[in-house]
Amino acid sequence: MRVLIIEDDVESAQHMADDLAGFGLEVTVIHDGGAALAPGVGDGPYDVLIIDRMLPGCDGLELLRRLRARGVETPALFLTAMGAVADRVAGLQGGGDDYVVKPVDCQELNARVQVLAKRGARTGDPTLLACGDLEFDRLQRKVWRRGQVVSLLPLEYRLLEFLLLNRGQPVTRKMLLEQVWGFHFDPRTNIVETHISRLRGKLDETGGPPLIHTIRGAGYVVREP
Amino acid sequence: MAFQTIALVLAFGVAGLLAILSIQQVTERAYRADVLGEVGSLDDEWRHKGVAHLSYTVTKRSRLWHGFEYGLASPSGGVLAGDPSLARLAHAGWTKSVAAKGLALAYTERLPGGGWLSVARDLTAQQEEMRTLAILLALSGAAGVAICLATACLTSHWTWRRLDALSSTAALVAGGQLAVRAPVRRVDAPDEIDDLSLAFNAMLDRISRLVDQLRRVTTDVAHDMRRPLTRLRQKLERLARAAADTPTVAAEVRRLDADFLEILRTFDALLQLAEIEGSPRPEGLVDLTDVASRVSEALRPDIEVSGRSLDALMESARVKGDADLVAQALVNLLENALRHTPVGARIELRVEDNAGAPRLSVRDNGPGIPPDLRDLALAPLGRLEASRSTAGSGLGLAIAASVAVRHGARLELADAAPGLEVSISFPPSRRTD
Repeated sequence: MRVLIIEDDVESAQHMADDLAGFGLEVTVIHDGGAALAPGVGDGPYDVLIIDRMLPGCDGLELLRRLRARGVETPALFLTAMGAVADRVAGLQGGGDDYVVKPVDCQELNARVQVLAKRGARTGDPTLLACGDLEFDRLQRKVWRRGQVVSLLPLEYRLLEFLLLNRGQPVTRKMLLEQVWGFHFDPRTNIVETHISRLRGKLDETGGPPLIHTIRGAGYVVREP
Repeated sequence: MAFQTIALVLAFGVAGLLAILSIQQVTERAYRADVLGEVGSLDDEWRHKGVAHLSYTVTKRSRLWHGFEYGLASPSGGVLAGDPSLARLAHAGWTKSVAAKGLALAYTERLPGGGWLSVARDLTAQQEEMRTLAILLALSGAAGVAICLATACLTSHWTWRRLDALSSTAALVAGGQLAVRAPVRRVDAPDEIDDLSLAFNAMLDRISRLVDQLRRVTTDVAHDMRRPLTRLRQKLERLARAAADTPTVAAEVRRLDADFLEILRTFDALLQLAEIEGSPRPEGLVDLTDVASRVSEALRPDIEVSGRSLDALMESARVKGDADLVAQALVNLLENALRHTPVGARIELRVEDNAGAPRLSVRDNGPGIPPDLRDLALAPLGRLEASRSTAGSGLGLAIAASVAVRHGARLELADAAPGLEVSISFPPSRRTD
């Protein structure tokens, strides 16, 4: 998996590159937004772009807009110190696929990059999701395990749906808080853990192997055992 | 006010009185001079023409009114000519006597031979003039008092307004808005109040700089600590995996990891606090009902599992601000309620529209916080139990307070009798729909 980092802070970019390389990613770093626009760079064969919003001379947002205008569809993640709601909304509406506020630890970054890369490769938006003997109908909002209906609360549906959409790919606690609860901060209680264990309980009632796994330090993943 | 009025009235009164008295004196001296002049002329008459001729002169002059009245008496006291009451004056010198036309100023002299001559100047005209003058002086005095009071009122009102602007600025600063400054009317030619405002602003500049420096130090420390702490946790993770076959060691490593996570969370909270305090006024629109619903549903399982109950009472309310910050504040308040109440406690989350000035409150029926300890509770890392045994950094309430300030709102701790009620009261907003 190839990642392009566009970040003007040399030291920070190097740290990020080293961390991600440690997870097995192939990382290229450039420090100048203008250089990203050169042919073969921003529109090169990358699976994910990581862009800092505050680049000298131009806003990362503007950079991505120009790349998108040229037909670059590579998923992009904004990594930035600008954390206000308005900035995040602008980033996501401006063609970004994820928006992360610094500081972020490398496992979080890695998880998100992987999720974005897989999402980029996936085509279409299926209405039926499945994992092992579990089936999820997104239109009808119904869940079956081994043919038996599993009754879930709305929040639990959203949680399971998000896990299934990223099947096989660990999603972090932060990602769940953002996508399922709409919280862009970290509450100090164990909301996520509590709900995951409830969900597990309900899914495992019908018998069958556990499908939701906890990956220490990385998050949760739904996959066949 | 009353003191000023009395003083002014006295001042104008005394001035008026003195004016009238001195005018009266001057006029009287003039009249006396007139009378003496007339007496002198009559003296010439009887010196040249003899005393007997005097009654003729007096009678004649009496008939021509040129401001004088006369009285002539014989040595035996009989009225020879002129006004009888004046003629009856039988001692030399000045008298004020009532004559034909009213009060008169008379001068009497003894004539050789024993008779008495009196010449008098009518005072009624003077008296009327004095009365008119007194009235005029009274009126102008009253006008003077009124103008003085009005000017004093206006000046003190303007001064009061400017001082009030200064104390409003101070109140805003005390409420957390370090960026405001007192208005200064003329920078190039400042008066005393401007000087005061300039000094006040200079002091605020210095305080802002100090606060910024302090915040930067705290933030830098927190940032610098995060990296090594995160790396430490990664190393602990590897250690735990390596010790997988010695469960006691693995368990100990996990406990260590939990401690480090706690430290990391404290730093995160410190950073967040600094960020909230340094950020500008948030601009978005927040549906308080939606935020409160999401937060209460998110925390409900934890609350109920722990043996407490949560009631959510919502009215429809919106404010200008940042939904994430408000959500964070509410989460902190609910977490605190969860953490600081015994099993079986009832927690209530309320959203009230309050006629356009929305109010959020979290109330519990736990032990509450005694009034003298409430300030300590709000201070960052301020904790009430000396042992600091319960989990969670002491920053939750401080962050909620900071969020309130950022939204121009007020966070208050009150006695829920029994228990604690923490409320966030937003300022009234103009309808943005």
